[in-house]
Amino acid sequence: MKIRTKPGGVLGIVAMASIVALSLSGCTRGGSGQGGGSGASPGITDTSITLGITTPLSGATAGPGTCTVAGVSAYFGAVNAAGGVKFGDGKTRTVTIKSYDDAYDPQKSLANFQQMVSDNVFAATAGLGTPTNRAYRDAAISEKFPQVLVMTGDPLFSDQKQSPWQLGFVPIYQNEGAAFGKLLAASKDQHKVALLSQNDDYGKGYVSGFKEAIKDASNISVVGEQTYEATDTSVDAQLTQLASSGADVFFNAMSVTPLTIAALQKAQQIGWKPSWFLPSNTSSPTAILEPGGAAAYPGIYSVSFAKAPQSPAFAKDPDVVKFLSELKQYGNYPDMPAFPHCMWSYMVGATLEQAFKNMTSPTRDSFMTALRNIKGLQAPLMLSGTSIDTTVDGQPAVSSVIVQKYNGKGYATAENFG
Amino acid sequence: MGMGTFIQLVVDGLSTGAIYAALALAIVLVNQATGLINFAQGGLAVLSSYIAYVFVRLGLPLILAIIVAVVLSFFIGALVERFLVRRFERGDPDTAVVVTVGLLTLVTGLCAVLWGYNNLGFPSLFPLTSVEILGAVVSVRSLATTVTIVVIMVVLQLLFLRTKLGLALRAVADNPASAAFSGLPVGRLLMVGWGLAATLGAIAGVLVAPQLTLTPGMLDTALVYALAAVILGGLSSPIGCVVAASAIGVLENLVAVYVPFIGHDLKIAVPFVLIFVILVLRPQGLFGRKVVVRV
Amino acid sequence: MSTVSPVLRNRSARIALTVVVAIALIAAPLLLPAFANQTLVRIGVYAVAVLGLNIVMGYTGQVNLGQIFFVGLGAYVTAYGVNHGWNIIVVFVAACAIAGIVGLLVALAAARLGGLAIAMVTIALPIVGVPLAKRLSEFTGGSQGISARFSDAPDWSGLYSDQWQFYIVLLVTAAAFLLARSLVQGKYGRAFGVVRENEAVAASMGVSPYRTKVLAFTIASILGGASGFLYLAAVQYTSPETLSFGHSISLLAAMVIGGAGSIAGSLIGGAYYVFVPQLTNAIDPSFTTLSQGAILLVVLFLLPEGLVSLPRVIRRLGRRRTARPTSGNPPQTAPAHHPVPEAAREGLENTERQDRP
Repeated sequence: MKIRTKPGGVLGIVAMASIVALSLSGCTRGGSGQGGGSGASPGITDTSITLGITTPLSGATAGPGTCTVAGVSAYFGAVNAAGGVKFGDGKTRTVTIKSYDDAYDPQKSLANFQQMVSDNVFAATAGLGTPTNRAYRDAAISEKFPQVLVMTGDPLFSDQKQSPWQLGFVPIYQNEGAAFGKLLAASKDQHKVALLSQNDDYGKGYVSGFKEAIKDASNISVVGEQTYEATDTSVDAQLTQLASSGADVFFNAMSVTPLTIAALQKAQQIGWKPSWFLPSNTSSPTAILEPGGAAAYPGIYSVSFAKAPQSPAFAKDPDVVKFLSELKQYGNYPDMPAFPHCMWSYMVGATLEQAFKNMTSPTRDSFMTALRNIKGLQAPLMLSGTSIDTTVDGQPAVSSVIVQKYNGKGYATAENFG
Repeated sequence: MGMGTFIQLVVDGLSTGAIYAALALAIVLVNQATGLINFAQGGLAVLSSYIAYVFVRLGLPLILAIIVAVVLSFFIGALVERFLVRRFERGDPDTAVVVTVGLLTLVTGLCAVLWGYNNLGFPSLFPLTSVEILGAVVSVRSLATTVTIVVIMVVLQLLFLRTKLGLALRAVADNPASAAFSGLPVGRLLMVGWGLAATLGAIAGVLVAPQLTLTPGMLDTALVYALAAVILGGLSSPIGCVVAASAIGVLENLVAVYVPFIGHDLKIAVPFVLIFVILVLRPQGLFGRKVVVRV
Repeated sequence: MSTVSPVLRNRSARIALTVVVAIALIAAPLLLPAFANQTLVRIGVYAVAVLGLNIVMGYTGQVNLGQIFFVGLGAYVTAYGVNHGWNIIVVFVAACAIAGIVGLLVALAAARLGGLAIAMVTIALPIVGVPLAKRLSEFTGGSQGISARFSDAPDWSGLYSDQWQFYIVLLVTAAAFLLARSLVQGKYGRAFGVVRENEAVAASMGVSPYRTKVLAFTIASILGGASGFLYLAAVQYTSPETLSFGHSISLLAAMVIGGAGSIAGSLIGGAYYVFVPQLTNAIDPSFTTLSQGAILLVVLFLLPEGLVSLPRVIRRLGRRRTARPTSGNPPQTAPAHHPVPEAAREGLENTERQDRP
């Protein structure tokens, strides 16, 4: 599996190394400025537009990181093959994707951003990670550089006042936690809940959203709460501890695939069989639930806004078929996606295309205006009942999620708990 | 929380400790044979596991695929020593350690290029069914893993203390110049040492791969714990490092659960504080003879 | 230092060279494009961190796997100070001092132990540091990290921010390197070298190995704190990921690649730390791990003493080529770590550690 989106880069670095020589010959400042009001912004010509993605392509989060590049590349690969996007200013442009590996290191993502500015990239998009996106947020604001549809549930990116050049894509973590909390609160029965969460803003966001939603529900009590580190090799101790709380519902805000599988196996071994809640990125039926033996539990709930290609229900879905073939052909990703980030970033592609169609001049300002005015867009692969809405301050592009229940093969919408 | 939970936590800790122990044994072996701390040990073990995975996918029975991978690993280890590490063995030890870091990076990158970063399911030799011991539930898989590791540990201990090969390996590590002077085939022995360590790493890799799932960075965290176990147990003692790894696993669990102030986030500090205290009291480690300082 | 090249022996020529370098450094940011300045700024950040590591490890021989912890600590102190409106000089002093004090405390305990024990204690610093940084979210902003901006160019300067940052980093980096250079050339440098080679000999010479090790470790930590201050000047943000163990190992690799026990090597190491990810990104962003490993191994294979030894090796090769017809020496097959003595001391490396006979 490989993704090559920047051919000929070696020459680029040679050019960069000899930058001193270039600079002595005169032209130093200017091109990389801020577009200056009139004329086109950097990174957009009459025939093409360049987008940049800084995301982890190596290290522990490289799996989902690779997906973020693959999905966008797949979407625009197909669009380019069909001639390109007809922009709101009447010109048709092809979309070039440049990807940069930040290895989940904030310092590297800032360096990559600076490189994007120097590479004349129009906008940054789809990058995964809270710290890595935060590291260049200030720089993007002062450069008036769009950093949009990024893969973090950090609410900061969707606050228009604080983040005028940013927009998150995926639901803020709180929303996903709250969706499940609401479902549970509406149940007629008494429930005891055990919580396990990743010790970072991901886990904390889920838990705070969940707790907020059950705040007034007298039938729900939280009987145990533990955390784990994303680098841990085992969460056996936490499960043993939580099992002893006697909870009948287990809210597991976990983003690590092997740990989720191991947790599903471990809980049933020690005879603890609650209903589970799993986040949208660690609930794949084939990659996680089947190897984890999830059928042993009374219910596995998750939230989603994307059709799962692994799910038999969507095997023949035209969106899914098209997506998988484009992912293979243009995203250089021949396998069945193991992470939902592949689907999400494909939707990012569709959202960007919609913004391009509506932008009336080739500037970043116009792009941001167009991007912030998308409502009711049913991007490919979106579940019915969810849609793209970029007009609400404080919310990312996708804010609605559907709670689903595992039925042994795939997921079905869950109207109520139990 | 009652006694049952306590025992379960201990048992859980032992099976987590077994993962660290598996890798720690390989590190001890290389250190005994070459005097180096090998950061690439985990990376090579992951490579071996991928090799086994490839043979499973080609249709070989699991046990056969593992044997093939283990044998191949011996040659990989030996070749790495001969053509990469040899150049640095007599040089600055810092450089040699950084070479193993480079090797780790290279091997991890190679695995990523060949097999991607997605988690690949690796079949287990042992069933996932569980048995009850003293009221605690333990999976047959972890039990078998632990037993295998104990067996390896005993074999290694015997190898070092009771065989000519072991003696020769240690002599070379201690003082290559005088070993050569007394007629030992130093180069050959170094290759054998690395080969054996890679073999052991391969076994460790395929033992833990079913639980951790195959990714290029599968053993990154385990490596840190394994290093801690090696130092704690004394670099020269296979038994020591297995005991230390188990102690780390158990202690972490108990402290995280029963000392809420530390909790699951800071439990990783426990083994290090413990090491520190023990080393102040007993600088050669719990079971070590003397520390061969080459890092 | 018997064969210092003639140009450098000439005092006025050396002063002239220094002046030219200084003018070039001061003029560079005004001429260079923004990205070049930003890259140079990051090189300065990591050069100071590698310099600290070199003092304790390259010169004094004490393994330190936790240098990144002090960088992170310095960055957090800086962020805290800036966000609480401290004077920037106070912030800088605090970043260095707090890192130095923590380093001193760690060293007081760890320096009693042998080499591997120090390795273990220092390995623990980043590993415990990451969850600790998350726990102390009041000070650190938790896992979301903390932003602090003090390095944007003020209006009166008429400079771009990248130029302003360049001057901040240049000031601190140059001071750090000059101080370190005079340190290792003086009596402490000799003490470091003796302790590195043989602690018993050191003791017999009246040099306390314990005190020397504590001193080296503390200086390394102070330089780590200074590097953290610069990190925040350059990145304006820090988070627990900043101090992860993997970066500490990368710093170690950078030190050895640049040249252990060499002041100039530290600068090269900083450049390596920054350039190689950019280079591997340009080769192919999906293969960065593979290419980084390959580059590291190739460089060390060709230059086991680091990039700083390149001129020396080239000279030696040249000399050997001319000498071959007369001397019947077989080409070296065994890895010769200790360089041929005549080639060891020459050129600019008068700051090389002085441990070799």
